[in-house]
This record gives sequence, C-alpha cells and structure tokens, in this order.
Amino acid sequence: MQTRGPVIIMELPENLNHAEGGAFLSEMLPLLETNRPRVVLDCSQVRHMDSAGIETLLHCMEEAMKRDGDLKLAALSPEAAAILELMRVDRLFEVYGSADDAARSFHAVASLEEPKGLPWYSVPYGLPDLKSAS
Amino acid sequence: MGLGAIVVVGAGRGSINGFSPEVHGDSFLSGSIETAEILGRSTIERTIERLVRAGVETVTLLVPRGKQIPAFTAKFHNVAGMIVDDMAVAIAQQLSNYSQKSIEHSFIVAGNLYAEADLLDLFYFHREARQVATRAINGSGPLDLWVVDCAKAQHSDFENLLTSAGVSGTTYFIRDYVMQLREPRDLRKLASDALSKRCALRPGGIEIRTGVWVEEGADVHKRARIIAPAYIGRDSKIEEDALITRCSSIERNCCIDCGTVIEDSSILANTQIGIWLDVCHAVTNGNKLLSLQHEVIVEITDPNVMHATGSIAKGDRGLVWSYQQEFEQRQTVADLIQEQSPLRQTRSLQPILSRGGD
Repeated sequence: MQTRGPVIIMELPENLNHAEGGAFLSEMLPLLETNRPRVVLDCSQVRHMDSAGIETLLHCMEEAMKRDGDLKLAALSPEAAAILELMRVDRLFEVYGSADDAARSFHAVASLEEPKGLPWYSVPYGLPDLKSAS
Repeated sequence: MGLGAIVVVGAGRGSINGFSPEVHGDSFLSGSIETAEILGRSTIERTIERLVRAGVETVTLLVPRGKQIPAFTAKFHNVAGMIVDDMAVAIAQQLSNYSQKSIEHSFIVAGNLYAEADLLDLFYFHREARQVATRAINGSGPLDLWVVDCAKAQHSDFENLLTSAGVSGTTYFIRDYVMQLREPRDLRKLASDALSKRCALRPGGIEIRTGVWVEEGADVHKRARIIAPAYIGRDSKIEEDALITRCSSIERNCCIDCGTVIEDSSILANTQIGIWLDVCHAVTNGNKLLSLQHEVIVEITDPNVMHATGSIAKGDRGLVWSYQQEFEQRQTVADLIQEQSPLRQTRSLQPILSRGGD
C-alpha cells in the first residue's frame, strides 16, 4: 500500500478470484471505513479475474461511495481491461493510465471544492461574501 | 494429362517448406487454424472445394503426426488424408506417386491459405512457362501455393526448388483476394471481409434478410436482434435480448445467452457465452477470449461467463422462434425453382415466397 496525501494506492493481486478477492477485501475494508476514502487500485499485475473478483471491486466501490469517497482503477493490464469490458463493468469505474494520474485526479477534484469559510453561493455564482460586503 | 494437389495442414507460420509443426494460435484454438470453421466451413475445406472445382483429379491431405485428419474429407471421393512425420519427405513421396499414376502436374498448397485465384489459369501459366515449379505471389510477397511438374520435381532438391520458385524462378501474380491465416485474428478478418463482401467467400445457410445468414437448426429468440451483416451457424441458439452486430459470426453449436452483445466478433464453434456480457472486437473459442483491441488471450475460468460445449440442448422451443421451419420451407421452394422454368416459377411460386417471408 502507498499513499499520495489522502489518496491510498493499493495493488491488486495477480489472481483476483474468490479466495484472493476475499483476502484483498478484508485488507481493504478497514481503509474504506474512514471518512471520504480515496482509493486507487493498481491493476497492472492482474492476469486472471473472475466474477468473484469483479464482485470484490464493486463492493469496494460501493463502500467508498457510501462514505462520500471514490475508488478509481489505474494501469489496467490488458487481461484486466478485457475482462472488465466483457463483464460490462469498465464503464462503472474511472480508469487512468497510471496510479499517479489517478491520484492526481483526486487532487484536481479537491482543488475544485469550495473554499472553507465562504458562503454556499460564492463559488458557483462568483459572488463575494454578502455579509461582509454589507 | 492429370492434375493432382497436395494440401498441407499445420504448415506453420513460415512458408510451407519451413515444415514447422507449430501453428501460431494453437494455444488458443483446439486444432490447426485451417481446420477452424469460419462462416460454416473451414478454410481447408474451402481450399479443397476450389481445387476440385478447378478439375483436380486427386487431392492428398498431409497432416503432421499429433493432429487429426479433418472429418469432412469423407464427403469427397477423391480426397485422401495421410498422417506424416516429415512433411518434406512426404511431399516428395507423394509427387513420386502422382508421377507413377501419370499425373503430370500438382498443386502444393498450405491449408491455411485462402486464395480466390483462378487455379486453372495458374496451371496454364505454369505449363507455358515450362519450369519445374511456379510459385504464386501477391502484393505482400510469396504465397504458399505452387504448381510443380511431378516428374521433374521428385528428382530435384525439393526444398530449394520450392524456395527458389518464389525468389528467382517463375512466379504467378495473384490480384484477387488472398488471406494467409497465421493467427486467430486472421479468422476474424476473413469473416469480416466475407460478411462485408470484400471477398467472394459466402457464408453457409440461407440469407433470411439482406446480409443476415442463418444455417439450418439455428434458434433465434423473437426478441433477439441481429443486425446485418451477421452469420448464425448450425444448431446455434441466440437467446432473448441478445444483440449480434457489426459483421459478427456465431459458428456451429454456440449459445449466446440473454442480453449479451456480440459486436465485431467471431464466436468459434461449440462456445457458450453467458448472460449480459459484452463481447466486442474479439474471437472466442470455448472458454478463451482473444481481445483484438487489447491484444491478449484471456482464459475465463468461470463457466457461467464462457465455456466450451460439445452440444447445446435444444431446450424449450415454445417461446423460441425457430428458423428450422423457414429453412425447410425455403429449401422446398428452391427445389421447386430448380425444377421449373425461370419464367413460370417466378409467377407460380410468388404466393409461396411471400408466405415464407412473413
């Protein structure tokens, strides 16, 4: 496991099947229980993946999204890309060429978040804090 | 003057005189690439049919040890299969046999070569050139197709003879469509070219709609969608809400389960594809999927997703629209058409034809 600021980067195992998927999930769940988990799964080592493996990925994404976080995939191996496409789940994930790109995408979203201390209307409408202006 | 042919199975990636027993794609295909059925028949079967149509009297199929003689040879009375250890020795021996049987010239062709060449024209060209061997070439280079003088070839250095025929000797240029099947992706290319009419190869079965070819025994659910051009092979089953599109071919004994999309793909014989899947830009064989987009072969271990099947149970046909009846009806019409004169049959069969199209 690596981190890039608040982003956690995890490498998926070579075989993402029922057994290894279960082990991976038990390792992942504590990380997903934090507030707004931001997770990147590096799929470069994946050679085999079955329905249970896909289920694991979907479960992780569900857990992350429940807590207002997100899970992104990076560096898909050709095998992983082919299987995700076959199972129609490639469109559910954001996929990046490398783990760094995926981690940077979280920072880009973070920088677009409204600055603290400003009222809700100031960011979308470009208005100053009307209270202080008056 | 007789004309024979020697067809070599499993000639390998290189030229026929490389005699490599390895055929690229063997790990993906269950047999040699030339025996894989595409649009209803294998390339080798089509090659033999072309040879027979060109007037070849006898065809010998040379199969390296470890591979099987294709079953279709039984339907040709003048085709014999032989299992051989050394391909070069076997070809030389066969040329000698032909010579003893007063067969003066012989084609030597690799089974994985699909060439729409005029074989008789090639033979006449060779005879007029008065050379021992003539090799066919096209824009991409020399092809694994020769015509040789049986009597002269058996006494010369055989391997050099075939090689030099393409380099310094007589060559015959083919302008027509040629496909040398080297990899499984070439099967897809051939199917796509045939369905989009870029070559003269026509799928088996009947054309139930413009560009949609269906073989006998195919079951297509009334809620399945088949978008032309497409091919559905014998005894294959397309289930509810499945979509077959973009020059896709489903070969013999396949099953495409509910909601699955087959797009720009070839599903080779005896393959079952599970529900709600997307097979795009791929060739599948049993539980193996070759993704042409990602250039990788993936073995699917989950039988619910994909698996090889020897035979598909017909299942309940109550809800399934069967093309069997339509096939039989159209066959009957076709037989009647052949029996009657063209003018009369057009008028008298019009009601039957319009009923068949309903």
